[in-house]
Amino acid sequence: MAPGLDVPVNVAKQAEILKQDGNTYFKKDRLGAAIEAYTQAITLCPNVTVYWTNRALCHRKRDDWEKVEADCRKALELDVNSVKAHYMLGLALLQHKQYADGVKQLEKALELGRGANPSSYMVEEIWQELAKAKYLEWESTSRLRLQKQQELRAICERALQQELESTRMQDSETGIQPTTAPYHNGGTASTHNDGTESNDVEGESKSCENSLKVESEITYKERIKMLSDVFNKSAEADIPNEVPEYLCCKITLDIFRDPVITPSGVTYERAVILEHIRKVGNFDPITREPLKPEQLVPNLAIKEAVQDFLGKHGWAYKMT
Amino acid sequence: MSSTSTPNRGLTKIATNRLQKELLEWQVNPPAGFKHKVTDNLQRWIIEVTGAPGTLYANETYQLQVDFPEHYPMEAPQVIFLPPSPLHAHIYSNGHICLDILYDSWSPAMTVSSICMSILSMLSSSTVKQRPPDNDRYVKNCRNGRSPKDTRWWFHDDKV
Repeated sequence: MAPGLDVPVNVAKQAEILKQDGNTYFKKDRLGAAIEAYTQAITLCPNVTVYWTNRALCHRKRDDWEKVEADCRKALELDVNSVKAHYMLGLALLQHKQYADGVKQLEKALELGRGANPSSYMVEEIWQELAKAKYLEWESTSRLRLQKQQELRAICERALQQELESTRMQDSETGIQPTTAPYHNGGTASTHNDGTESNDVEGESKSCENSLKVESEITYKERIKMLSDVFNKSAEADIPNEVPEYLCCKITLDIFRDPVITPSGVTYERAVILEHIRKVGNFDPITREPLKPEQLVPNLAIKEAVQDFLGKHGWAYKMT
Repeated sequence: MSSTSTPNRGLTKIATNRLQKELLEWQVNPPAGFKHKVTDNLQRWIIEVTGAPGTLYANETYQLQVDFPEHYPMEAPQVIFLPPSPLHAHIYSNGHICLDILYDSWSPAMTVSSICMSILSMLSSSTVKQRPPDNDRYVKNCRNGRSPKDTRWWFHDDKV
């Protein structure tokens, strides 16, 4: 940002010199001196965003996150599109465990950074930090989710067990006890075979009682199995696995961050395909058709698919 | 073999990441006829290749050495046969391979696995076991340890 019009030219010049001093100190890791120089520059010209973000960078190196946050907020008042201010504010908020807001700031920084210079190291660095934060979030939420599911599963299994036991009790209450009524036909068994023509009543009622028992045990086992299937199915999304190939760049073999499509219809990671054109040649790496940087178009559908996938499978944020 | 004490020293993050992914994929789904000899050096792979059945090289086993440059896959890896190299019209006795995809025609979308398949198909399509006509001259020129990547190749033919 240019110095405000109300600042005399010589003052603005003086501030610029102080900034240069600050940069030199920063490079030498003399953070205290750098902060002092930037502070003086800010005093002279408080409307220059970069003085604030440079000082924030010093605070960041010192792990002084309160001050990082304050300087970044001030910088954003001056320039809402400052990539560095959004980026460092995001980091500061994450440090303060303000997870959602921190991620929001990093996402904003990434969006602005890609717009300005898609293959800069900043974009990569912001992505790494964002991915790290998202991965940590997934770790804690998925752990919690798994724990709750296990509790629920245990409760369900207990309920099925109780149901099985109460069925057994009913059976033994209503069923014939062979010892007490050896030649009598009654109870559950009688309702089933009326006991009219059989001369082996005891045996039949017994087997009938047994088959009921067996039946409820089979049902129980089936239900336990179904329950286990249901729970395993719902846990699947949280089990780290391979990212589908169509969501990965053919060069990086990694999940897309900023996918762009070539005239041949192949999608690549933007920064990497630009590097390929610069270093290897003006051709599509797969089809070998001629390719120029300006022919690359964002692949929004794949971008959405990646967001959707990452939303459901946070483990895919894991960087190797 | 060179020291493996500090592997991956010379690789960029993208290169390391990509090689790890390639290695993982290789372990799950290795190309037929090839075996990767496990080391802790990601930057140099030693791969055993066995000639395809029904070809001149059936039942013969050779070793490929694949060295990855810092900026892989923006640059091709250096691929050579360790001695003894197969007798083939495009393979020199020092192990250098005349194959366009390893040099001018490299594309970052190619992988170790796809290189291996190209090499195997080059072996399989051979009808005579012989060295390239300029073998002696070429090998002599490489005595100072020159990499095949520094050679100005003119490709013998484009059938392979």
